[in-house]
Amino acid sequence: MRFMGFRLRLALFFVATLVAVQLLTAGLVYEVTRRALVAEGERQLVTNAQAFTTQMDDISARIAGNVEVLSLDYALRSAIAGHDRGTVFSVLRNGGRRVGASRMRLVDLDGKVAVDTGNAKATAIPFPFTDLVASAFDHRTAAVVAQDGRASWMVVVPIYAPQPVGLVVVNVPLDNARLAHMQRLSTLPRDIELAAQWTPGTWSVVARGDGQSALVNGLNKSHRALPWTPLLTSVDSKEYMVLAQQLKQPERGTPVVAVLGYSLDAALRPYRSVAIAWATLLGLGLIVGLLGAWLTARSVSRPIETLAAAVRRVGAGDYRAPQTTQRNDEIGQLANAFGTMSEAVHQRELRIRHQAMHDAITDLPNRVAAEAAIDEMLGRQEITSGALLVVGLTRVPDIIKTMGHALCDRLMRDASERIRRVATDAYLARISDSQFLLWLMHARQPEATAVALRVLDVLNEPYQETDLSIDQLPSIGVATAPDDGSQAGTLLRHAEVAQFAASGSASALNFYDVSTDPHRPERLSLMGDLRDALDRDALELHYQPKLDLGHRRIDGAEALLRWNHPRRGWVPPDEFIGMAEDTGNIHRVSRWALSSALAQLRRWRALGLPLNIAVNLSTRDLEDTELPSRITGLLAVHHVPATALTVEVTERAVMGEPDAAIRILRRLAEQGIGIAIDDFGVGQSTFAYLRHLPVSELKIDQMFIKHLATDANDQIIVRSIVDLGHRLGYRVTAEGVEDEGALDYLASIGCDHAQGYFISRAITADAFTDFVTTHDNAIVETPP
Amino acid sequence: MQRLAVMACVLFGCASPAWAAKVDVHLTDGHGHGVDDAVITLTPDGTVDRAANAPPPATHVVDQKDEVFIPYVQVMRPGDKVVFRNSDSTRHHVYSFSKVKAFEFVLSPGESSPAMTVVNTGIAAVGCNIHDHMITYLFVSDAPAIAMSTHGGMATLDHLAAGRYTMHIWHPQLHPGKSETTRAVIIASDVDVQHVAIDLSLIPDPRMFMDREHLDY
Repeated sequence: MRFMGFRLRLALFFVATLVAVQLLTAGLVYEVTRRALVAEGERQLVTNAQAFTTQMDDISARIAGNVEVLSLDYALRSAIAGHDRGTVFSVLRNGGRRVGASRMRLVDLDGKVAVDTGNAKATAIPFPFTDLVASAFDHRTAAVVAQDGRASWMVVVPIYAPQPVGLVVVNVPLDNARLAHMQRLSTLPRDIELAAQWTPGTWSVVARGDGQSALVNGLNKSHRALPWTPLLTSVDSKEYMVLAQQLKQPERGTPVVAVLGYSLDAALRPYRSVAIAWATLLGLGLIVGLLGAWLTARSVSRPIETLAAAVRRVGAGDYRAPQTTQRNDEIGQLANAFGTMSEAVHQRELRIRHQAMHDAITDLPNRVAAEAAIDEMLGRQEITSGALLVVGLTRVPDIIKTMGHALCDRLMRDASERIRRVATDAYLARISDSQFLLWLMHARQPEATAVALRVLDVLNEPYQETDLSIDQLPSIGVATAPDDGSQAGTLLRHAEVAQFAASGSASALNFYDVSTDPHRPERLSLMGDLRDALDRDALELHYQPKLDLGHRRIDGAEALLRWNHPRRGWVPPDEFIGMAEDTGNIHRVSRWALSSALAQLRRWRALGLPLNIAVNLSTRDLEDTELPSRITGLLAVHHVPATALTVEVTERAVMGEPDAAIRILRRLAEQGIGIAIDDFGVGQSTFAYLRHLPVSELKIDQMFIKHLATDANDQIIVRSIVDLGHRLGYRVTAEGVEDEGALDYLASIGCDHAQGYFISRAITADAFTDFVTTHDNAIVETPP
Repeated sequence: MQRLAVMACVLFGCASPAWAAKVDVHLTDGHGHGVDDAVITLTPDGTVDRAANAPPPATHVVDQKDEVFIPYVQVMRPGDKVVFRNSDSTRHHVYSFSKVKAFEFVLSPGESSPAMTVVNTGIAAVGCNIHDHMITYLFVSDAPAIAMSTHGGMATLDHLAAGRYTMHIWHPQLHPGKSETTRAVIIASDVDVQHVAIDLSLIPDPRMFMDREHLDY
């Protein structure tokens, strides 16, 4: 779209320039024309004003001529000389008709009206315009006279008989018809008006050339004075040049002017067709220009748009070369540069992708590529089965550490070639430093086994270099589709589990078995369930009685965690304790166990049972420096003496962080809490540690007790431990007592306590109470 | 020459040898040009015995030549006769509607009118009905001193006795309707010489120099 805008902008620029130039030209032409017309109007108005007065003079001459001819009549002369008013009246009337006069008067030399055709009876009235009479003998005298709303051209002609005997005054009406007639005879403008000033300051029209013009009224409306030089003004929203021309008039007469107008609109009218033609031309030019501009712009922007589309295609990963343009201009160069660039990018991307999907050493597909490929194959309808083999070279980490990466790389390359030789049809990939992957399409277990064994054969041959021979210790795990999974990831994981198992076994080949998989995903959900159980107090403590062999009575119990999972039933402690340790939940578990055990202890003590309860602590608990103070608090809360509590720890737990563990155990021992070493005898600990531990009790592992009644070696070991323990000041407890023989033997060698199925399995608190109160005696009595 | 002769006759006829006072009059037209053909009369204030001074009647000839009346102004005494002579090759229709004497003669080429006696004083304008531009005036006056301006507006009235006079100046082209120009003149002694300069406002000369039918004013 941006290029669309570019095109549009370009086109618009062209067109705007075109329009601007055209409009400028139009404005100029209009202005020039108008100015010319205004100048022409001025000239015409001045000329017309002169023409008007000239015409009036012509009228005067004509009338004067007529009157003179009239006066030449001997009869009239004699009538005038003889004061024959009747004859003079009729002659004047006739003559008046002939010249188109509205009124004829004979004025005596003394300035009195002798005869008046406008008023037959009036005589001896002084003629009002004495100045006209006075000048009539000197020169031709004529003037505009306005009277009674009308204007007339008054011509005063002297009468000679033969000397001057009087004057004839002729009134020719200056009305619309007269003006129209004058206009017809000359080039007077259409707009001409005669205006009289009846009252000072106001001019009113007495005659119009065309009977419609409104020059004076327009000027009056706009409160303008009459212009004595050409004035450009607006009359009735039309433009006019207006000029007022003073007319000859008697001294005491009403002022009368001729107002001439030059209509600019009318003058411009002939140009209108020119303007229309010009506008049409402009319109056509605009269209052509627009089209041309668009085409030009398109020829520029089209290749750019093509390029942009190609670049977008490259951006989306399509590296087909952009349409090669044959252009030799900048755009062509740009297009070629784009092409070169996208080809280079394409090559680089292919290389990067290859590197991303392949192992640099063996050039085999890597794990990501393998998974994608296998998933792709499994996604096909026709593939329903297959075997995934993970070939691991167990000694690779050792080889790297010993001989370095370079040799290991050569070894792996060699190994990949060997595998390739025996598994030609298989999909081979390197999935880790020490592992290959083989994917056998359509293969089931027998085929997989055959391939695996062949691979094992070739890999069991030691890797040879000039002075070197290295065993690679191959192992193979197999997972089959669809039984062990329908996705590459799952299959791979299962095959790895199987391979891991195989690496330790003799056969070096192992098929995945879901039942032996310690890495089942459900383990992860168990932890959440455990936290739930802690929150809901759904764990239980069972108690295994500890028999005091000396007094033949139950004086203690080991608290053991039991978890009745709502879906799985009883979950073995080994399973969830280890997991809780791994996930850091063991603190909460231990806290809960301690709290529950002490609460139970308090109840038993209330029942008059002075029992000692042992609670197991984990390795992580011994890293918790808050533990001693927390136990102190719990003891105080439950009103239980510290001596009634024993904590059991394994040797391994102590040996993890010995210093911290010893500090915590010492603080516990200082309070009087008993410390028991659990599973004593199977760990790697030595007495060297024991010396530093505030141990109060050793618990011999059941491994030594199980066959104690019959196994002489076990008897020696147990007796030695008991002796040694006693000598070091520890009490000794035997775990896992399952028969009477063992119990008797333990009693005979002076072992302090025994616990095991023979005495009782771990039971609920209530059952323990019953057991202690009802069966205590039975057990106590049993031995002789 | 004829005009001078007539003038001399009038002047000498009116003169009284005992009086030698005179009035020199210079007439101009306002533009500095002298005005000829003006008639200046001096009338002593008070009663005058006109009969006592009356000279014998004379006959004046007004010629018509080249469509012009000659002279332009003819001064006459009551009782004088006038004859209109046609010296042209065209016919002239001499007429006058004046109160002094109304008459008309149709004169063929070369013909003269009968001598016509003018009795009344006054001014008679005489025209030709055929040629409108032709005009002449008969100035009939019984004034004791009368003179006509010549030679660039110069006129002299002499043989005057001391006394108070009223001077009248008339000219054919005085503005019609305007009152006559008069001037009071006091002559201190019989040898007094007065100089009077007068500006006259005149209308254009209507005679042949212009064609009144094609007046251009």
